[in-house]
Amino acid sequence: MVQYTKVPDHPHNENPLLPLITDPADPLAPIALRSTLLEPNTDQFQGPLEKVYLFWIVGASCDGCTIAVTGATHPRLEDLLLGRVPGLPRVELIHTVVSVESGPEWTENLRMAAAGELDAPFLICWEGSIMDETYSGDGYWMGLGEDRETGRQITSLEWLDRMAPKAAAVVAVGTCATWGGIPAAANNPTNAKGVMDHLGKDYRSTLGLPVVNVPGCSPVGDNIIETAAAALLFLNGLAPLPEFDELGRPAWLFTETVHRHCPRAGYYEEGVFAEEYGDKECLVELGCWGPVVQCNIAERGIVDGHGGCMNMGGICIGCTMPGFPDKFAPFYAAPPGSFLSGTTSRAVGGFIRRVRRLTMHDKQRSVRWQDDELPSGWARYKTQPVGAEKAVHRFYSKVQHHNDGGSQ
Amino acid sequence: MCFKNLPIEFDSSGKARLIQSGGDPFAVTTSPIRQYVRPTEGGSGGASPSSAPPRLREWSIDPVTRVAGALAVHTTLDLENRKAVDAYSMAMLFRGYEIILQGRDPRDAIDISSRACGVCGGVHSTVSSMAIEQAFGIVPPPLGVVVRNLGECAEMFYDHPIHLGLLAGPDYSTALVQMTNPELVVMAEQTPAKNAHIHGYKTVKDIMDAMNPLEGEIYLEALEYTRIGRIMCTLMFGKFPHPSTLVPGGVSTTITTSTFNEFYAQLAKIFDYAKRLAGWWDDICDFFLEADPAYEQVGARPSNLIQTGIWDDPNVYDATYKNIDTWGNARYSAPGVIVDGKLVTTDLTRINMGIEEFVEHSFYEDWTKKGPVAFETDPLGNPLSPYHMMNKVTIPRPEGKNFKEKYTWDTAPRWDRMSMETGVYGRMWTTALADNLQPNDFLNSTGDGLRMVMPRHELPEMVLEWKIPKVLNAFERNRGRAYGVAFTASIAMINLMQAFEYWRKGETKTATKFKVPQDERVGYGYWEAGRGYLSHHLHMDKGKLLNYQINTPSTWNAAPRDPFGEPGPYEEAIVDTPILESVSDDNIKGIDILRAIRSFDPCMPCTTHMDTGRGIITREVNSCSCTLE
Ligand code: SF4
Ligand code: SF4
Repeated sequence: MVQYTKVPDHPHNENPLLPLITDPADPLAPIALRSTLLEPNTDQFQGPLEKVYLFWIVGASCDGCTIAVTGATHPRLEDLLLGRVPGLPRVELIHTVVSVESGPEWTENLRMAAAGELDAPFLICWEGSIMDETYSGDGYWMGLGEDRETGRQITSLEWLDRMAPKAAAVVAVGTCATWGGIPAAANNPTNAKGVMDHLGKDYRSTLGLPVVNVPGCSPVGDNIIETAAAALLFLNGLAPLPEFDELGRPAWLFTETVHRHCPRAGYYEEGVFAEEYGDKECLVELGCWGPVVQCNIAERGIVDGHGGCMNMGGICIGCTMPGFPDKFAPFYAAPPGSFLSGTTSRAVGGFIRRVRRLTMHDKQRSVRWQDDELPSGWARYKTQPVGAEKAVHRFYSKVQHHNDGGSQ
Repeated sequence: MCFKNLPIEFDSSGKARLIQSGGDPFAVTTSPIRQYVRPTEGGSGGASPSSAPPRLREWSIDPVTRVAGALAVHTTLDLENRKAVDAYSMAMLFRGYEIILQGRDPRDAIDISSRACGVCGGVHSTVSSMAIEQAFGIVPPPLGVVVRNLGECAEMFYDHPIHLGLLAGPDYSTALVQMTNPELVVMAEQTPAKNAHIHGYKTVKDIMDAMNPLEGEIYLEALEYTRIGRIMCTLMFGKFPHPSTLVPGGVSTTITTSTFNEFYAQLAKIFDYAKRLAGWWDDICDFFLEADPAYEQVGARPSNLIQTGIWDDPNVYDATYKNIDTWGNARYSAPGVIVDGKLVTTDLTRINMGIEEFVEHSFYEDWTKKGPVAFETDPLGNPLSPYHMMNKVTIPRPEGKNFKEKYTWDTAPRWDRMSMETGVYGRMWTTALADNLQPNDFLNSTGDGLRMVMPRHELPEMVLEWKIPKVLNAFERNRGRAYGVAFTASIAMINLMQAFEYWRKGETKTATKFKVPQDERVGYGYWEAGRGYLSHHLHMDKGKLLNYQINTPSTWNAAPRDPFGEPGPYEEAIVDTPILESVSDDNIKGIDILRAIRSFDPCMPCTTHMDTGRGIITREVNSCSCTLE
């Protein structure tokens, strides 16, 4: 354990401090005190856990994960905070962006958690990389709160070290917190790393869990909130234990490659590739890493089912992966492996695409139009299939209907 | 005269030149930092009682919450005279992003610099692609420019509501005001809301109830509207908050007919929200200012503002530095510098020339002492200070904070050696004063404000008028931001009409092809974030980045004292902010100080990840092999 003594006492606290607000009825008091006044939920449908505290603490972060989770809709963050999901505990959130209280009152919540003084279990969601404070000399890379007794500057990392052993679970949110992310990319001036790397592989929460990892830069908001909600459902006996993969990722969210669910995957299969930005086809030759990246944004979208990288025309740069960013850079060059798979699907897919076009031509005609002109006022005269194409359709139709008594 | 303090003058043709005076024209003479209160020196006990006012209280707000990122403020309150008498603003985080950018493919800067800030990632990607396209010598097709504009409008529709509803709003809610000024709650109950016909809340207290944290309607609705803004943004940028479709020379978004139709359907909701936002913030601000005119002093500071302009005219924007003043002045939101309420310039070259960044009180070393700087002029030959961002080398040196020496990871950017603020109200201000908008149906300047037409949705069509405030204070910042949604919505509408027009004409290309140049290039990207000023600067050679620097709005706003001892904007705004709480000394919460700070909409993530110059990193406590780079 690192000894936290290096930061000198605060040089400016020469006058008395403004008193700490400790009246639980005051909305500016620490939520850990205010929360004790709230009547516990007495619904018949309520699991054993009625309330949990959620400490969302940041290291080297851009706040993007915070923004992502506030955009989530399944469920919405406010649903958890207001206890609006039946059976789930109410979540008391301690987060610098959202908390009502500030400064010493805010920090008091963390102190109480580290000292084991809370009236309910707590979780930590950690956003951002861990920066090595042994590199910051007498200073700090990331300060978070002052010790009221001594005026000493506390770092956010110190809070993690003090609180993690008492936490019911530690969830690393986003690629910085899970694997190190961009702050840990080549040149890495602060010796940044992920939470798992910092706490070590023997770390277990009070529930016996290693660090849970929800990667993404930034993650899909629903992935964060769903993981939290799934864990709470399990704790309240409503759902099975969520499955995690060998890197501690929620397995049901991160097992598939994003390519398999990509709306452009059909183009890939038919061997049609975008050549310019804005083209609607598969983006692999513009640099997309989707075929080897575990991510679910293609089917889930980014906000309430909308958007998503390839969905809208953006290449996958592998932002959920431990190798991000260095192993995917330079982003805007085609991945080397795409040459092989691209050439193959060009050859095979090109053939299949042509055959499909023939079939489509047939299926575009209703049975009634079989021998007539098209009744559409939208098109100029268009022929029905003739000659060889017609013969192919006849044959195709025979095969299709060989079990149901004849062709259409 | 453009500059009062910098040694730069202009000849009769308007060309800038250095005033030669012998010696270093940009020399800095440092002064001790302006300390408003002198604490009694420890141990000596010699300070006379009159040197410090009685009943001082120290308040270390670490962390300041309901802001984005890690901000701390140390302030000294004088309970006798009921006001803040000293303040130090501290950015608490260093990540070293641009050190990470050095040596990379310049195109990757778009995605990496976006991660400097997850609160406004889109603006970073956009300005980065602009800096790159300038360096590469390419211009996006008109639809590419319009799509960028629309994406950035959408980002504001998420950005402003989150601040107004979730971050600043609770400070004006019944729940909090009840604890600090119960008499105001009583009064609010008896005060009819002037804009009840727009938002439906009958009294001011009804509005304040709706602002209650987590439970109030306005609070919860704000969250929902941020989601609408984000959905609109993903239509153009794919992913949010870090976009996936911004590329040099335009966007890689696959635009379909639905793209603009869906955008329009969502924009209609924003029109109504903009009307209600302006309505209830007018009611709240007017109520407080009428209840006690002293609220005018909360967060007040001189009207000194710097803006870089945003939303390009696709017919004028050509990405070159040569024409930067022309396309800058054609922006829907004008660039400009305002000193004491007067518009001094709207030219980006002059804005650029006036900027210096000081590290006297920041955890970095002064690079100008370490050898010659890289650029004496910009690409047009205008003089640049050695303290200009293009010349900066970051030498981080973490140490214990000390208010007389160094106390923050933020730097002190100054324009013409003056402390400048920036924000959404700032860009409305420059746009109103510059008064050079093309004729259009939705937005025009009235000379002393802006007139915005918000089309009908559920509410009828309305004309909103925003007036340039007499005093720049916490209330006017919030009011300006609320009107800022209408400002942005009117610009979104103009751009959407243009998008339909290009689509109709078959001008559907959104990006221009390019090759990465292999010779030495520079690129200056100027754009704005939700909170105002934003610039990215790059220097590349042989297809790789040599240097990449970012300067952001909160770098300006959260700045510490400069070498001349003068405070940064938060510090200036806090000092002399009155404590208007009607409670006893022991129950003071400092809410007016927090209102002052939050009114800037502080956003710290990108404040401290900038300008690392040529990557010289020195570590004193160090056991890492990478020191040997
Ligand atoms: S765009 Fe990327 S993820 Fe989608 S099909 Fe092509 S390679 Fe796969
Ligand atoms: S598709 Fe790729 S770039 Fe997009 S979110 Fe998933 S991993 Fe990140």
